[in-house]
Amino acid sequence: MAYDDLRSFLDTLDKQGQLLRITDEVLPEPDLAAAANATGRIGENAPALYFDNVKGFTDARIAMNVHGSWANHALALGLPRNTPVKEQVEEFARRWDAFPVAPERREDAPWRENTQEGDDVDLFSVLPLFRLNDGDGGFYLDKAAVVSRDPEDPGHFGKQNVGTYRIQVIGANRLAFQPVPMHDVAQHLRKAEEKGEDLPIAITLGNDPVMAIVAGMPMAYDHSEYEMAGALRGAPAPIATAPLTGFDVPWGSEVVIEGVIESRKRQIEGPFGEFTGHYSGGRRMPVIRVDRVSFRTNPVFESLYIGMPWTECDYLVGPNTCVPLLKQLRAEFPEVKAVNAMYTHGLLVIISTAKRYGGFAKAVGMRAMTTPHGLGYVAQVILVDEDVDPFNLPQVMWAMSAKVNPKDDVVVIPNLSVVELAPAAQPAGITSKMIIDATTPVSPDGRGNFSTPAKDLPETAQWAARLQGMLAGRA
Amino acid sequence: MSNLPADCPRCAFETVTRLATSPVPGVWDVLQCDRCLYTWRTTEPARRTRRDAFPENFKLTPADIANAIEVPEVPPLLT
Ligand SMILES: [Zn+2]
Repeated sequence: MAYDDLRSFLDTLDKQGQLLRITDEVLPEPDLAAAANATGRIGENAPALYFDNVKGFTDARIAMNVHGSWANHALALGLPRNTPVKEQVEEFARRWDAFPVAPERREDAPWRENTQEGDDVDLFSVLPLFRLNDGDGGFYLDKAAVVSRDPEDPGHFGKQNVGTYRIQVIGANRLAFQPVPMHDVAQHLRKAEEKGEDLPIAITLGNDPVMAIVAGMPMAYDHSEYEMAGALRGAPAPIATAPLTGFDVPWGSEVVIEGVIESRKRQIEGPFGEFTGHYSGGRRMPVIRVDRVSFRTNPVFESLYIGMPWTECDYLVGPNTCVPLLKQLRAEFPEVKAVNAMYTHGLLVIISTAKRYGGFAKAVGMRAMTTPHGLGYVAQVILVDEDVDPFNLPQVMWAMSAKVNPKDDVVVIPNLSVVELAPAAQPAGITSKMIIDATTPVSPDGRGNFSTPAKDLPETAQWAARLQGMLAGRA
Repeated sequence: MSNLPADCPRCAFETVTRLATSPVPGVWDVLQCDRCLYTWRTTEPARRTRRDAFPENFKLTPADIANAIEVPEVPPLLT
């Protein structure tokens, strides 16, 4: 089941009991953010939230926490709502193998219904904008799919990037924009600014649920997010041509904002409560002049609460960060069994692996740090044995407590690269990184006394299934 | 709502611009500081809208704004 737009997915969430409509009047602040914040504190199958009675607005429609639970993430991929996390990641990795799936171009995009241009652009008249956290510098677009092209190779479909970046609304037609240097749009901007040129940009809001997943997914520079969306959907991604930039944008978006990043200009932006659970900024960031807005009649404004984990952001980018690391590690190290990169976008990663020989697990850990995503994240790696489930934290903590001899199994490497948002970095963008090898040493690494492990009884798996069946029958 | 506050809650700058006003007349305005670009709605709690209640940690001085690092840095022009 592939969703072509946000609205059809919201309908499914509703039917599956995963959408909560809040019909009482709420204040734009602090209610909208506080309600979404609360979804992260009420268990891991929290619903999406839909508000349509917001004080002072006449026709605001706001969707939050759309991906904010394992149930919702499963439904976004067309899986049963109760699919376990490890299975969601494995299914994601399996579908990846269909990449690339060519998109399908359509002419009748619903966002063509309404247009504002030039001096008439007023984002406040189109979107019910609001603030998330106390210390935020203003109102943000934080769940957009932002499209840009490589100025040196504008015809290359794969180098056209679709990514999610934080965007502060600093005027009726002006935005401040954060391209982290590791991200593709920053490469596009650098090439344009070296030539003194503006960088055209399209910002799409309220996208289908798989588009939101691929826009936040670490992918190779010349790989197309649309072709990955097709693989994950199991059907070509519907795209349309944006009228001003000519860029390829999702067919099903609620709102398409087009304009340029103004060349060689920086302006104060932030702070913003980030995925690290800390504010970052204010910094001097690039700015966007909006020249055209296209939008569906009665657009749904989709936003995402972000702050102290876990929030929707962690469900949204958790699995899509695990999979590229899993693929890239397995390409050279088929011994790798599973990768859990769901903590703070992979600043910490847990990897389960078989060992080829003594010292092997530490090599896997070093490789994780040198993957494209690892260069900007992966500051701590925990290696566990092949029979430890890295998504099962009590098992991981058992491995850490029983297998680690700190002097020999903890490796610290100074002065490596990390995203500037990492709160522990010093200076910003530079950090030491650590490997904790919690695997059992194998020959010729003959350390410790691991020869007599206690294992589950042979009948245990059968009994676990029997007990789960009894519990399910009781519910 | 015609009365703009005297200064920015965050940096105390005295010029504030109205960015938007509520579609239902008279409920709120969205205001912005002309110097630090701080943006707020008049119906937000005092900790976000009033200088005397604004958290010290988030206050900005003109030096903070002028010295904020550039992300990403503007690259040299290719000639
Ligand atoms: Zn100010």
